[in-house]
Amino acid sequence: MSAVGVQAIPRRRLRRTAVARRLERGGPFTYLFLLLVVAGSIFPLYWSVVVASHTNAAVYAYPPKLLPGSNLFHNIHRLFNAGLVNIDFAHALVNSAIVASAVTASVVFFSALAGFAFAKLEFRGRKLLFLLVLATLVVPVQLGLVPLYIEMKHFGWLNDLKAVVAPNLCTAFGVFLMRQYIVGAVPSELIAAARVDGCNSWRVFWHVVLPAVRPIAVVLGLLTFMNTWNDFLWPYIVLTARNPTVQVAISDIATVAYVPDYSLILTGCLVSILPLLAVFLVLGRQIVGGIMQGAIKG
Amino acid sequence: MSVEQTTTVATVDRRARGKLLRRLDGKVSPYLYIAPFFVVFGIFGLFPLGYTAYISLTDRNLLSPVSHVIGLHNYALLIHDSYFWNAVENTFGIWFLSTVPQLALALLIAHVLNTRLRVRTFFRMAVLLPQVTSLVAVALIFTQMFGHDYGFVNWLLGLVGIHHVYWEAGRFSSWAALSVMVIWRWTGYNALIYLAAMQSIPEELYEAAAVDGARRWRQFLHVTVPSLRPTIIFTVIISTIGGLQLFTEPYLFQPRTSGGTGGSARQYQTIVMYLYEKFLGSSQFKFGYAAAIAWCLVLLIVLFGLVNYLVVGRIRSAET
Amino acid sequence: MDVRNSWRRRKTVLAATILTAAVAALGILASGASAARHANITLTIDVFGDFGYHDLYKQYEKSHPGITIKEDTEDYAPHHTGLVQHLATGAGADDVVAIEVGYIAQFAAQPQNFVDLRDYGAKSVKSRYPAWKYDQAVAPNGSVIGLGTDVGSLGICYRTDLFAKAGLPTDPATLGKMWSTWSKFLAVGKTFQKKMGSKSKFIDSGSNLYNAIIGQANPAYYSKSGEVIAATNPKVKQAWNLTMKAISLGEDKGLTAFAADWNAGFKKGTFATVTCPAWMMGYIQGQAPNTKGKWNIAPVPGGGGSWGGSFLAVTKQSSHPQEAADLVKFLTSPASELYVFKHTGNLPSELPVLKSKAVQDFKNPFFSNAPVGAIFAGSAMKLKPQILGPHQGDFQTAASNAIQRVEQHKQSPAKSWQQFLKDVANAG
Repeated sequence: MSAVGVQAIPRRRLRRTAVARRLERGGPFTYLFLLLVVAGSIFPLYWSVVVASHTNAAVYAYPPKLLPGSNLFHNIHRLFNAGLVNIDFAHALVNSAIVASAVTASVVFFSALAGFAFAKLEFRGRKLLFLLVLATLVVPVQLGLVPLYIEMKHFGWLNDLKAVVAPNLCTAFGVFLMRQYIVGAVPSELIAAARVDGCNSWRVFWHVVLPAVRPIAVVLGLLTFMNTWNDFLWPYIVLTARNPTVQVAISDIATVAYVPDYSLILTGCLVSILPLLAVFLVLGRQIVGGIMQGAIKG
Repeated sequence: MSVEQTTTVATVDRRARGKLLRRLDGKVSPYLYIAPFFVVFGIFGLFPLGYTAYISLTDRNLLSPVSHVIGLHNYALLIHDSYFWNAVENTFGIWFLSTVPQLALALLIAHVLNTRLRVRTFFRMAVLLPQVTSLVAVALIFTQMFGHDYGFVNWLLGLVGIHHVYWEAGRFSSWAALSVMVIWRWTGYNALIYLAAMQSIPEELYEAAAVDGARRWRQFLHVTVPSLRPTIIFTVIISTIGGLQLFTEPYLFQPRTSGGTGGSARQYQTIVMYLYEKFLGSSQFKFGYAAAIAWCLVLLIVLFGLVNYLVVGRIRSAET
Repeated sequence: MDVRNSWRRRKTVLAATILTAAVAALGILASGASAARHANITLTIDVFGDFGYHDLYKQYEKSHPGITIKEDTEDYAPHHTGLVQHLATGAGADDVVAIEVGYIAQFAAQPQNFVDLRDYGAKSVKSRYPAWKYDQAVAPNGSVIGLGTDVGSLGICYRTDLFAKAGLPTDPATLGKMWSTWSKFLAVGKTFQKKMGSKSKFIDSGSNLYNAIIGQANPAYYSKSGEVIAATNPKVKQAWNLTMKAISLGEDKGLTAFAADWNAGFKKGTFATVTCPAWMMGYIQGQAPNTKGKWNIAPVPGGGGSWGGSFLAVTKQSSHPQEAADLVKFLTSPASELYVFKHTGNLPSELPVLKSKAVQDFKNPFFSNAPVGAIFAGSAMKLKPQILGPHQGDFQTAASNAIQRVEQHKQSPAKSWQQFLKDVANAG
């Protein structure tokens, strides 16, 4: 569910309508309702802190313990101590960082490049090819996983991070998002002027387009990073517990030994969420803005 | 590149070359720029999908070195495979249980957020927070919360006198539990999309309604919702594409107990889980059969997406 | 406006960079630290559940400088399915892999994927094993793909405190006589249930009961000629019927073995007996340390029986077959097997160890000082192995699911049986 329909609408118009509307002021019930919603949003995360900070024995107590305990650091220590859980969690974190960074960099760059071509360059078949890109948004290509697995086996990429990175190097969503943004955000006159100055299309891209798409690049980058970091099915198919991504590692902790050690499992979940949570706290405003800007009109 | 400093001959030469380059640039480079997408998509997207169709016509198996084309045999088996239809039923059941409340709640939240609020950004971010959580984490955290004798949910229900529910065991209860996971993760996201769409509804529509003396609630029903029609269709389709491919949550919901079959009676096995079972999950490794399931699922998604488009479109236009 | 924007942008880039760097640094630190430790060879070993090897690894690493051992453990079914997959794709298998008896026939049929342990001195240890245990890991072409670790000989673990409350005797010998057959066992359960009502059930899980009963049947799922006879063998149906009877009598708590609620049940005493292969002792001690002294172990109805038992094999994918084979020999040595038995409970499979004083006299304080060594070793030496086939493990899973469907009131016993037969037919 990574696709977001996007049609970037120039910012100015958005602002005007939003400001011009005489919005009603939120009453006490509005706030009460919203606080409930917020509580619902946060509770499962709070709960994972509670479970992750108790011993496993305490987790099975009834009635359940509702407040955090004092065992969090001990559990984190267990998580990172490969001898105890048999999973090299640090290794998994590095793998995920590598995969997500590589995919993000590639997606942002190639999407901007293709988006630029679709938005501002004239060439034969442009419309048709762009329609093709759009069509791939709706076709669930991830379901080609049986042959893709055979393909990876053929390449000798099974259990290799390459198998997770390669299929995600470009996404239709990214191209689409970039194209829509560039159409509105990069004035054609500017490109024409650069052309007159003797810039070829590459230099136009490098000096004019890339700087201009930075805001949307941040949004696309963050969404891509999040999706890649959180991806499960495909990495689970091609990687093993020896060389896992974070998500594969956590799912393995969940099946380790006979005992579902929930204090450890949820510590793993918590640690895996933390990096994204940190990004979210710093850049949440942009992400919210990106999704909202992106999504106006399917 | 300062032209002035060079000699005339060189300039002419250069200009000719520059012209050629420029023409080449105009003709070729656009294709080069879009090539990476199409190459990656071709190798890792389109080709596998097409090849899936071919493999589905064979008896390919990981364990046997040779495979034979067996025509539509896999599909014939699939049509009579009660486990497959069971998975289809589960998938649609969970999809329905999760999508309808999710979108309704999202509309409501968006409506409430579309007021003048203090700490507006805080509310928006808080609503989006579940999106940051990975599917794996969502599945595991909620599975713990739905535990029978120790879970938070049963404890809460116990407080109001409801007997402990064996969430995983029942068909409906397991669907409900899984739907809660989906709803939790996706409602805020959809709410923001609706909110964005609400903010771009032309002011005149509201002014007209205000003249009519419409109350806020009626404004919501008669102006906001109809104006959101395209957005609603969009979110329904997105949730269809995602919902029919549901895997991680049910797969990790009590993962250890039934060999990935989604409960002892396969009460919450989804289509992709069944695909995975035939593919790598059990020791059968029936790649041909798994490919047939995949291909059927692709068709189902496309078909169902179309149906949704038509149905939602009709309902809304009837209301307007 | 502009200034704010660029500041925000810088903050964005900054934050992203710091975060990525932090995550990467964390990992590099960790991996660097571990890289320094193993200078030479890392041996990977893939087991399921708890084999109780951790201390032995440390011991081995100490006596073999330059060797580091990494264990990976998974649940029973995914472990074996994963192994099939890794062997077939030629990638991903560990140096040493554990194989349970339910799957040994399947892997013995593909000796091309395993190192022939005869090349590494398997013959010299042959005499230590009961003939059947050694032969289970011998391929049709004579190559030895694995060496035995433990055998899963059976007893009944029971809660003396709950038995006393129900007015039943608590002494193992008396109980053993009382439940000499499975029907009598269920009769004892009936008495228990009458007293205890629904608070505590006699049996934890129907599938555990079934596993114990079917473990005594020979033949069970496969005939001597290797045919699947699950549908026609009266012994399979008999085991099924007894299980159904336990459910209908209300003696069964209906928990899913090895799931979270089952674990919780140990602690809370929601059931009074568990069919207990030797390896289950370690499990109970780990799960419910608070019940120490409340357990005892009695002989199993039907006289002897087995559930589980495993082998260690070296895969052809290993780049250090010699070192891996040495490790296997170390882990299956009498001293190691004895160590595991004392600390985890897995019963040794080697005759000299079973007969040794150390095992015969071993008493476990956790289980009311029951002479667990004598009970389990005695039952192990009487053991008559079952005829095995390639899909043994799959049938086991199918049966567990079928029993759960009845326990959870999703199907009638008859309907569930039909579906079980269908699953068996499809497993091939």
